Amino acid sequence: MGPRRYILRKLLHALATLAFVLSVNFFLFRILGDPVTLLSRSLRLDPTEQLELRQELGVADPLPQQFVNYVGDTLRGELGVSFLSGRPVSQVIAERTWPTVLLVGSATLFATVFGLLAGIRGAWNRGSAFDSGSLLGSLVFFSMPEGWLGMILLIVFAGTLGWFPAGGMESVEPYTGLQHVTDVLHHLFLPCLTLTLGYIGEYTIIMRSSLLEVMGEDYVTTARAKGLRDKMVRRHHAVPNAMLPTFTLIFFSFGFVLGGSIIVETVFSWPGLGLLTYGAIDRLDYPVIQGVFLVFSAAVIVANLAADITYGYVDPRIREA
Amino acid sequence: MLGRVRVMAALVLVVGIAGGGFVRATAQESPVPDEKLTLNVGLTEDFVSPNPFVACCTMDYEFLFLNYDMLLNFDTVDLSPAPGLAESCEPSPDHMDWTCTIREGVTWSDGQPLTAEDIAFTYTFIVENKGTGVFGDYLPYQPTFEAPDATTFIWHSSEPTFAPEIPPWIYILPKHIWEPLDGKSGQEIKGFEEIPAVGSGAFNMVEWKPGQFVRFDANKNYWNGVPTIDEIVYRIFENQEAMVQALKSGELDYAYDLSPTLANSLGGTTGIEVYEGAPGSWTNLAFNFGGQSAAAGVDEVTETNHPALQDIRLREAIAHAVDKQALVDTIYQGYALPGDTFMRPDSAFWHLDIPAEEEFAFDLGLARQILDDAGYLDTDGDGIREDPVSGLPLAMDIVTITDEFGSVDSGKLIEGWLEEIGFDIELRPVTTTKIYEIWELGDFDMYVWGWAGDVDPDFIMSVFTTNSCLVWSDGCYSDPQVDAWHEEQRTLFDRDERKALIDQMQRYLYEQLPELALTYEQTIHAYRTDRFTGYFPVPQPEGDLLFGWGPYSQIALEPVTAEEAAETQDGGGIPVGVWIGLGIGVVAIAALLLVRRGREEEDERV
Repeated sequence: MGPRRYILRKLLHALATLAFVLSVNFFLFRILGDPVTLLSRSLRLDPTEQLELRQELGVADPLPQQFVNYVGDTLRGELGVSFLSGRPVSQVIAERTWPTVLLVGSATLFATVFGLLAGIRGAWNRGSAFDSGSLLGSLVFFSMPEGWLGMILLIVFAGTLGWFPAGGMESVEPYTGLQHVTDVLHHLFLPCLTLTLGYIGEYTIIMRSSLLEVMGEDYVTTARAKGLRDKMVRRHHAVPNAMLPTFTLIFFSFGFVLGGSIIVETVFSWPGLGLLTYGAIDRLDYPVIQGVFLVFSAAVIVANLAADITYGYVDPRIREA
Repeated sequence: MLGRVRVMAALVLVVGIAGGGFVRATAQESPVPDEKLTLNVGLTEDFVSPNPFVACCTMDYEFLFLNYDMLLNFDTVDLSPAPGLAESCEPSPDHMDWTCTIREGVTWSDGQPLTAEDIAFTYTFIVENKGTGVFGDYLPYQPTFEAPDATTFIWHSSEPTFAPEIPPWIYILPKHIWEPLDGKSGQEIKGFEEIPAVGSGAFNMVEWKPGQFVRFDANKNYWNGVPTIDEIVYRIFENQEAMVQALKSGELDYAYDLSPTLANSLGGTTGIEVYEGAPGSWTNLAFNFGGQSAAAGVDEVTETNHPALQDIRLREAIAHAVDKQALVDTIYQGYALPGDTFMRPDSAFWHLDIPAEEEFAFDLGLARQILDDAGYLDTDGDGIREDPVSGLPLAMDIVTITDEFGSVDSGKLIEGWLEEIGFDIELRPVTTTKIYEIWELGDFDMYVWGWAGDVDPDFIMSVFTTNSCLVWSDGCYSDPQVDAWHEEQRTLFDRDERKALIDQMQRYLYEQLPELALTYEQTIHAYRTDRFTGYFPVPQPEGDLLFGWGPYSQIALEPVTAEEAAETQDGGGIPVGVWIGLGIGVVAIAALLLVRRGREEEDERV
């Protein structure tokens, strides 16, 4: 199958998945409960006012009609208005997107890079002190509760030593330019460290076992027998083949970035999407819930699509299949 | 190539740490003469919206009290009505027309003058538009308003009333900003957001970063006292522990609402004072009397209240079986008071305190005796008493709320005591969202929820009237005597006469037990004593310092010493030199590792 047909097929798959997600997104949250009852209680509405509220919020129409409206609005980029605050959902989500991307994105990036490097080195020098150390470290940090680790770091480095702020994404002073960048980095350090340590184990272990498998293959022995230096064998023959399983993991991890991290966001008071989602679910703020899940699902689907397409380029065997 | 990646990564880390530290260090080591005096306050509840009609929670009301004024203020001593924008308000002899003299010289934050027209506009806007319901309660009997001149405001009521005097808890909005919204839909009105929010209050909200902080600039022309501080920043924390750490490190000057455990952990820290505000809310055990479906006008009966709860003797037995002091000690670790009447204790003028010897004392033996005498005996020997009238065992459920501190734990303790006297209790912990549904259907026997209510008793007393079923009433309690008294107290214009009747109502309701007030919870604050002084409890002597009834503390605060005034952010931070040293150290170690590794690779396994 030629490259163009391959890409097209993957693209169509992605769109179909997105359409399915849209439908599930809409119907699933209707099961959670009726927001109008909640709102009418705090506003103390009588039955006529309740009906008006239902109409205003668009929940008075029969379900199929609501769904059609929902699809139409979504395609136009109109995600509705928050039940709780009356602010446009797209604005509410947009405010929180960059902080999430910054925190979870950078942590994922560091965890990927350092995790892969550590996994490669561990497998290549199997049995060494480094290998045992990194394996132990990976398991320890991976199984450690993020919230606990984050809290310890916060108490020691922010509370007691005062080296870092105890929360938030930026200082109140209106810094600009480079000062602003370093201010945000200063706030970012502890939460990013917490998340990185939590994620890093995954990559180390997968990369390590994948590489160990490849190292036993015939073509690696051949490359060595040809007289290539160790570093070259590793870099050009072993690692590229060992990368394939981790590839999917990496792409998915980046797809999940927009899901945020509720626990770390809570510990460090980081204004991200994770907490927004949790709060919206708790208060049955349908438009926000739907908006966030749509954005999140779309991100995962796009990441999956990117993985599929890149796979096709990286490994010709997949394209030929 | 890998080596280069490592170096880049290390450099990024170094820049981040060093740069951030540098920024902080320079901020604190170069005090500029015109540096602003900033009060940094921490809290764990986010700001919902700067729109007064969406306001729900702590930060919203703090914003409203700082940014706006009211017709009449809450007096700082006992929350009775005090002059606000109105210097005085006088009723006509029939109490149907009230005339208020509005003070001169007040301006909005955008420079426009504030006049009686703004007040008339605000009140009319609330009466005539949808979505303004939260304030409508203070404007009963379809009133109309007029402002014949800039300093005169007249309230016309269709019935005699003292509503203008309560004081009406309504913030005055600028007509020139809000007029375009008159007549629009509820959603449009509530969706209106404007920052800076134009107001006449002691501080003006100039910036809001959702999920992070809200910033206020001081109004140096404020009519009720000019604040010394220049700026207040309310920082949102997502957990209390982090907030307390920030207070300890000096990032914050004040922390609001700590859990009892955290407050205890702070006790004894030098430079930090823990303060327990007077209680303004309580947790209660409410009983279900049924009748929800009838009130809702539906055919299907949804309430599941146990018939025995209608018997006052049974409720009395329950009252004697609850050890309120134990709840105070165990759950709130002393930061609460045992509850009695249904009136917030910090409304000192109205709250009736039942003398200790007249309260329902905790006495399991007496509780058992009451049940025995009333005929609730365990006829089949299974340890659970039966109701002689319906034959049903005393098997009841207690619904508790998982996201309200104290509810679940109170429920557990009450379950223990009631089972000791022969009940069979099932606990049902649910979320706040879920309990509204349960309440509406009447699908419970008892639940542990709570009230705060207004300073004025009219609202909270109305909760116990028959008409409040499915409006505010917990369990649809109904008693014509209470209904009659509630009507009557609205007609008593003499404050002491009204107080006598309200006391009578509180006493009666305490004894009739539509519910049981368990504990009055205190909010715990903590603040640094080395930063600002002049925190001001409202009401005196034990009310809240901040997040109270007006901008009183914020206006009164002064810096502790002249040196303190020069510093805005003190963090106990590390000097610049150390940061640079650290940075160099990290780079050096990274470089060493790389170089060594490189050499290793050359010799290995060729």
